[in-house]
Amino acid sequence: MAQMRWLLTYQGVEVWRHTKVIQWTLQIVSGIIVVVLVAWFFTNIANAVQDREIPHGWSFLDREYQTPIGQHFLPYESSDSFGYALGVAAMNTVIVSIVGVILATALGIFIGVSRLSANWLVSKIATVYIEFFRNVPLLVQLFFWFYIILALPPVREGYVIGGGLYVNNAGISMPFPAATGFGAALIWPLLALAGIAAGWGVYRSLLAREVRTGQTSYPIVSGLVTAVIIGAIAWIVVSLVAGDSPYTITSPEPQGRFGRIAGGFTAPAGLVVLLVGLVTYTASFIAEIVRAGIQSVRKGQTEASRALGLSPMETLRYVTFPQALRVIIPPLISQYLNLTKNSSLAGAIGYADLTNVAKTMTQTAPAVSIFLLIMGAYLAMSLTYSLIGNLYNRHIRYTGG
Amino acid sequence: MAAAQPPPAGQQLPPPRFEVGVLGWIRENLFSSMLNTVLTVVSAAIIVLALVYGLRWVIAGADWTVIGVLGGQLVIGQYNTESSCPGQNCFWRPQVALMLATALLGMVWAMVGGGVAKRLAIGVVVVITLFAFLPYSFERMGMDVRLLLVANIPAMMIGWAVARYTRISSRGVIIYVVVAFILTVVLLRGIEGIPFLQRVSVPHWGGITLNLLLAVVGIGLSLPIGIALALGRRSNLPVVKLFCVIFIEVFRGVPLITLLFMSQVLVPLAFPEDFHTNSLFRAGIIITLFSSAYMAENIRGGLQALHPGQAEAARALGLSAWQATLLISLPQAIRNVIPAIVGQFIALFKDTSLVYIIGMLDVVEISRAFIQGNAEYLVNAKELFVFLALVFWVFTYTMSYVSQKVEEHMGVGGSPEAALARLGAEGDATMQTMQGRT
Repeated sequence: MAQMRWLLTYQGVEVWRHTKVIQWTLQIVSGIIVVVLVAWFFTNIANAVQDREIPHGWSFLDREYQTPIGQHFLPYESSDSFGYALGVAAMNTVIVSIVGVILATALGIFIGVSRLSANWLVSKIATVYIEFFRNVPLLVQLFFWFYIILALPPVREGYVIGGGLYVNNAGISMPFPAATGFGAALIWPLLALAGIAAGWGVYRSLLAREVRTGQTSYPIVSGLVTAVIIGAIAWIVVSLVAGDSPYTITSPEPQGRFGRIAGGFTAPAGLVVLLVGLVTYTASFIAEIVRAGIQSVRKGQTEASRALGLSPMETLRYVTFPQALRVIIPPLISQYLNLTKNSSLAGAIGYADLTNVAKTMTQTAPAVSIFLLIMGAYLAMSLTYSLIGNLYNRHIRYTGG
Repeated sequence: MAAAQPPPAGQQLPPPRFEVGVLGWIRENLFSSMLNTVLTVVSAAIIVLALVYGLRWVIAGADWTVIGVLGGQLVIGQYNTESSCPGQNCFWRPQVALMLATALLGMVWAMVGGGVAKRLAIGVVVVITLFAFLPYSFERMGMDVRLLLVANIPAMMIGWAVARYTRISSRGVIIYVVVAFILTVVLLRGIEGIPFLQRVSVPHWGGITLNLLLAVVGIGLSLPIGIALALGRRSNLPVVKLFCVIFIEVFRGVPLITLLFMSQVLVPLAFPEDFHTNSLFRAGIIITLFSSAYMAENIRGGLQALHPGQAEAARALGLSAWQATLLISLPQAIRNVIPAIVGQFIALFKDTSLVYIIGMLDVVEISRAFIQGNAEYLVNAKELFVFLALVFWVFTYTMSYVSQKVEEHMGVGGSPEAALARLGAEGDATMQTMQGRT
């Protein structure tokens, strides 16, 4: 017996008392359990797929989809493939989430700051807004907006605001620039971008000079003027070369007896409902994040900056907000993610987002493959947001606000 | 210069009339500056307009009959129809289940001894009793629907009396909750062979009862699973940690409705054919797992915020690693993130409305289906969804109100840390993971 002891000891400790051994045994056992379970599921799925002749695989991606997609920002024909149709639907989701994130941030900051307002009435209105919108399921809110839009008059009898904005049960139409020629429409934005970059450079260098020397250098005004002048010159040059201005503003016009709207940009009812619902809902969460962030900045900071002679607005802009931003950014990114994921409710109100199109596709293509694809797509979007937020977070930490 | 004379010694003048009292408050909070005055006038105008148009619509413009027409379907869906419950009125079954819940409220009141528990119990029973006097159609519900609603008053009192005079322990209440939940499910499902308890198959369940059932299951299970995941993610065992990280990030990275849809497709394939699941079971599991992934991040935030000295001191005092975690770290971590946890419970309750994707008729989907099937009520869809919003709001606001009171009771509410934990814990934990600081 005594000779066998060395077998049951590790580093001079009995194996059943050695932390390392216990930990590794635990890990190996749990690892085996998980692997066996997953393998069991996959064998079951593989068998079921074969036995019941359930469609599977990825070959459907090259087939023609042959189904119209309600709204699309990328060009799309029914003869396009499943793979491309998924891309079109993903673009619909991406556009809704980007526009939604921008609008929700603006509204959320406005309401969050209002809630902290010294004015009792303003603060109470903001509180009521927040407590209502964040406590009601988004789906209920979407249906509410959906039936509100449905109750609007048809195109011919719809509201026309300021001569250009059409509001009716088909959606909202507004004047929008339309490209006149392909080349000019492509070159001018590039030149304008260069102008904006130059303006940004002017702003940065003048700002640096102002900080260094203390002389007033008007960085914002100079930067804006630079960008506008370069853009205008580019516009004139491109117009002269191409013989026509690169873009013209087209206004929406009701056409025909049923009043289909041509020209301008029309946000269809589904898109309007989805955006209004997502933005008002998410803004209530963002407002609370902004409020908590501002409140996390110590009172002495505000008092000191007021004592130094900064106005309340300047205090918020230069002292409170930059410091609050560090607290605000992480949960804010999490809200952006939620908005993107919540846009998957679009199917309930008839907007062709990724989930909605995928669900329709399952009628003619393998459901498991499609949903694995779109779950991967949502995961990729989540990681992208986290990455951007992470980089920005590091940036504001590095420069010290 | 009479005005400039100092007051005689020993005599104090009252403070200026405009700086104290109601007038002082109004001046301070509404008209302290030019901008403030403008803001006050604009907001007052908005409030007046909203009130005038809102009230006019609620009283004169809106037609609320659609709610009465749907009536019992909002509560329990297609449960009490001729096809699901032939030849009988089955509406009493969810109503008895409701009484089990009000009895629980009475028990909690007696145990806590007043405060928010008392207000909650009385408030709920008053609202339920009020519903007994609202006008709605009796189609397949019978007169006893009102009687059974009023019977919630004695149910609550019995619960209170039992807890008061038997000195029931909190363990007893937990046992009651489990027993009452099982009873509820059995009652709703029915038992084969008993004439007045005939089987009602699960696809017929619906309405707000379905939302509440899913929420109760999710709330009960997602907290322990979330704790296990959070501990797993923080453990120094690489394999366990890897599994937990993958689980959490996958479930947090995709929308709930895609998971629900996948469960509909995959679960029947992944299990042997004789393993029967119904949509309620699947939805319950998916919602629970989805919610526990978020819960894990909330709890991890709480654990991260805890000073490491706590665990070190516990170990130094001779507690084992498990004891230090379960008795020292976890209770403090959970207490610090109660707001975030309750926020997740609220999110879970709101998310139960997403089961429409797998064809379950919860209160939202049954309303939508009703509007779609009865075109004459299309113009009243607004009223129906305003009502639904109100119903959800009452539930969720009650949850957050109770949680605030519990926080105050535990002395963590109102602190900046608590306010931030309410919002930031989860996001912050994510960011720290991304930066590799786990």
